[in-house]
Amino acid sequence: MKQGLLRWGDVLIGAAATTVVVAAFTLTYSPSGDARLLVISQAGAATQHEPLDRTRVLEIQGPAGITRVEIEPGRARCADSPGRQNICESSGWLQAHGDVAVSLPNRLTLQVLGAEPGFDSMHY
Amino acid sequence: MNTPAMSADPHTGITRHDRAIAALAAIAIGIQILEAAIPSPVPGLKPGLANIITLIALLTLGWRAAVAVTLIRVVGSSLLLGTLLSPTFWLSIAGAVATLAILALLRPLAPRHVGPVGLAIAAAMAHITGQFLLAWMVIIPHPNLPFVLPPLLLAALITGSLTGILTAHVLADPRIQRHVRH
Repeated sequence: MKQGLLRWGDVLIGAAATTVVVAAFTLTYSPSGDARLLVISQAGAATQHEPLDRTRVLEIQGPAGITRVEIEPGRARCADSPGRQNICESSGWLQAHGDVAVSLPNRLTLQVLGAEPGFDSMHY
Repeated sequence: MNTPAMSADPHTGITRHDRAIAALAAIAIGIQILEAAIPSPVPGLKPGLANIITLIALLTLGWRAAVAVTLIRVVGSSLLLGTLLSPTFWLSIAGAVATLAILALLRPLAPRHVGPVGLAIAAAMAHITGQFLLAWMVIIPHPNLPFVLPPLLLAALITGSLTGILTAHVLADPRIQRHVRH
C-alpha cells in the first residue's frame, strides 16, 4: 500500500455503488407508484372511475343520503356518509393500492388502485 | 474455463501455488463457519468476511486462484454446515459467481487504479445482486421481493467497505506484501 488506502478507482466504485443504493431506494419506495385511481362501485349504478390527480369533492347520492368523497393527488377519503357508525369515514385516507372504504347504508364501496400492489403479507 | 482447483498439472505435482490456494481456502472455510455462528438480526445479512480471502487470492495469486479459493470455500463450508445442494448453497454459489464475474471485469484495473476497497464494494454489491436475482427468479418469485433489495444493497455497501479496509490492512502486512502483484 504505497499510495495510501484509496485509488481513484475505489472512489469511483464507491460513488457508483452509493448511486445504485440511492437509486434503488428512490425507485422502490417512491410514493408516486401508489394510488392513482379511485373506483366507486354503487349497487344499481355504473362503476365510476376517478383519477387521483387534483383536489376536488364528489357528492354521491345513495339510498340513505349523500356520501361526500374528497379526492387529493394520490389519495381519497370518505369525508361524510349517512351511516351512523361512521364506518366509511373511519377508513381514513385511502392511499395504498387496494385500500377500501365501504358505506353499507348507501350500498357503496370506494377503492383506490395503483400501479403496484402493496404488501399483503410477509413471511420467510 | 476449467476450474483451476483441478488444473494442477499431474506431471509437476503439487506446486507452491496449489498449497497457497489450499491454505487460503482453508482459512476462508474457517471464516465462513465462524460467521455462520454469529447471530444476525436479519436472515441472510452477514458481514462477508470470507470475501477478504477471495480478494487476497486475487491480488496475490491471480483471478484463477480467486475462483478456486471461492468455489472450494462454498463447497467446503456447505459440507461442514450440512447445507450442500440446499437453497442456501445455491444462493451462496450465485453470490460467488456474481462476485467472481465482477472481479474478472475489474481485474485489468486491479493493482494500479483500483485497490481492495473498490474491489470489495463491487464484489459485495455483485454478491447480493446475484443472490437476489436467483432468489427472485427461482426460489421466491414474488412480485414484492424487490422491496427488500434496497436495504440489502445498502448493507452490501457498508460491509463491502469494511471488508475492503480489512483486506487493505491484511495486504499491508509485510509477510503478505512479498506476494502482492504490483
